[in-house]
Amino acid sequence: METTLAEPTQWQQFVAGFELFRDPLLCALLAGGVLGFLSVYVVLRRMVFVSAAVAQSAGLGVALAFYAGIHLGFEVEPVLGATALALVATMLLMMDPSRLRLTRESLLGLAYALSGGAAVLIGDRIAQESHDIQGILFGTAVLVTPEQLRTVIIASAVVMAIHLWWYRGITFASFDRIGALVQGLPVRLLDGVLMVSIGVMVGVCARALGALPVFAFSTLSAIAALMLDLRLPWTFLVATLAGIISGVGGYLFAYFFDFPVGGSQTVLAAALVGVAMALRFLFQLVQRAR
Amino acid sequence: MKTDETGSTGATPHVPSTFTLGEPLLTCANLVIGYNDRPMLPPIDMVIRRGQFVAVVGRNGSGKSTWFKTLLGMIDPVSGTITRSHPEMRSAYVPQTSGIDSLLPLRARELTAWGRLRGWSFLWPFAKKADRDAVESALDTAGAKAIAARPYRELSEGQKQRTLLARLIATEADLVLLDEPTAAMDAVAERETMQRLCLLARQRGLGVVVVCHDLEVAAEHADVLLFVDRETSAFVVGDARTVFCHPAFRRQYGDEYCHRAPEGPHRGNDAR
Repeated sequence: METTLAEPTQWQQFVAGFELFRDPLLCALLAGGVLGFLSVYVVLRRMVFVSAAVAQSAGLGVALAFYAGIHLGFEVEPVLGATALALVATMLLMMDPSRLRLTRESLLGLAYALSGGAAVLIGDRIAQESHDIQGILFGTAVLVTPEQLRTVIIASAVVMAIHLWWYRGITFASFDRIGALVQGLPVRLLDGVLMVSIGVMVGVCARALGALPVFAFSTLSAIAALMLDLRLPWTFLVATLAGIISGVGGYLFAYFFDFPVGGSQTVLAAALVGVAMALRFLFQLVQRAR
Repeated sequence: MKTDETGSTGATPHVPSTFTLGEPLLTCANLVIGYNDRPMLPPIDMVIRRGQFVAVVGRNGSGKSTWFKTLLGMIDPVSGTITRSHPEMRSAYVPQTSGIDSLLPLRARELTAWGRLRGWSFLWPFAKKADRDAVESALDTAGAKAIAARPYRELSEGQKQRTLLARLIATEADLVLLDEPTAAMDAVAERETMQRLCLLARQRGLGVVVVCHDLEVAAEHADVLLFVDRETSAFVVGDARTVFCHPAFRRQYGDEYCHRAPEGPHRGNDAR
C-alpha cells in the first residue's frame, strides 16, 4: 500500500524550527519594546530625525568595522562600530549648533547625508560584505547571532532599568527643561542619559535588525500611542507594546508571507499608527453620540 | 519699606510655619548681566523681598530675559553677585501656558506633581504620600481640583494658569519667577491670575517676579516695577510713577503712562 506524506504546513515548519527563530524573535521583541519606550521622548522632543541620523550613522559604523577588518587588518566587532558611531552622532547632535551659527536641522542633515553617503562608498570597497551592509541599512537580516542577541539583551536591560528608575526625573527634564533646571535637577546628566540610551539602543539594534526597522520602532510606536490620547505613563506603555508588536509581528509576517523582515516590521509599525488613528476616530464618534 | 508681619500656615501643611514679610530673599549687588562677558546693562543693585510682587517691563530685546535667566542661574553674570538669603532658599519657574508642549499627554495633576521634584529626589521612583498630599492640597488651593484629571492641553487659558499656579504652590518655593504668565489670556483671566499671584505673594510670603508686557496690569498689581532698556542702558526700579516718569521709559513708551500713573507704592486690588 502506498502512503503519501502530507507536506508540513508553514506553521508546522515554524514550530519545528522554532529554535532557529527564537533568537531573532527575542531580539525583535526587546529592540521593539525598548525603542518603542524611547520613541515617546523622540517624538515629543521633536527628535524624529535624530533617530534617523543616528541609525544611519550606526550603519556607517558597521561598514567601517568591516572595512577595518578587510583592508586595514584589524578586527573590530561590527556591533562596536555601530554603537561607537551611533554615540558619536548622538554627541554631535547634542551640541549647541547656534555656536556654529547653524540650526539643529543643519547638523541632522549633515550627519544623515554624510553617514549614508560614506556607508555606500565604503560598501563599494567591501564587496564581499555588501549583503551585510544592505541588511544593516534596510533590515534584511533574518538571523541574529548569539553575540548580537546578548548585546541587545544587556543594552535593553540597562537602558530600561535606568529609565524606569529615573522616569520622573527624565520626563521632567525632557519636557520642561527650564523648570527642572530651576528646581535643581541635574538636567544635563538626565539629558545625557536619554541621548546615550537612544544612541546605544539604535547602534546595537541597527546591527542586529537594520537601520530602517530601528528608525520605525523609535518613531512610529510613539506616534501610534499618542493617537490614543492616554496619560503619559500609559503612553509609554502602549508605545512599548506597539514596538514589541511591530518587531515580533513583522518578523512573523515576513516568515509566513515570505517578505523581507525589516520592511515587514516597518510597515507593521506604520499600520499600527493607522489602527490607533481608527480607534481614536471611533472613540470620538462614540463620545459625540453620547 | 520693610514690613514685619507674621503669616500663618492655615490648612495647608506645606507652607513655612512662619515667615517675615519684607525679609530679603535675593540680593543683586553690582550685578552686570550679558553674554560672553559683554555687559548688556549698567550694574544692577536690588533686593527681592518676601511678599513682594515685582513686575519686569521693557520692550523685546531690552534685556528682560537675560536678567531673568541670570536670576534663574541659567546664565552666569558678567560680574557682581546674586546672594540668596539662605542656602536652602527654593526658587521655582513657571513657564507660559503655551510653554508646555500641546502634544504632551499630561494631566493637570501630573504637571502639578513635577513641582514636588527637587534636586535628586527623582531617584526615589515613586511619589511619596506626603508629595501626593501636597499635590492635592496645591490643586485645591489653586482652584484646580476639578480639572486635575483633565488633559492640560484641553484646558482653557485660565484653567492652564491655575494648573501652573498649583505646580508653583507644590514647589514650596520662596522665590517664584514667571515668564509672561498672562500671555494669550483674555482680560478677565489675566486679572484673575494677577490677583492670585498677589494673594500668594502676601499669604505665603513668596517673592514673585513676573515678566509682563501689559504696563497697566503691571502698574495695578506690582509693588515694585523694574524697567529694563538696553538701548539707553537703563535699569529703573521703583513704584509705577517712578518708572513710568523716568526719561528712559518715556523715550520708549511716551508720556501717557506717566500722566496716568498712581502716586506711591500701589497694589491695585483687594487680594492682598
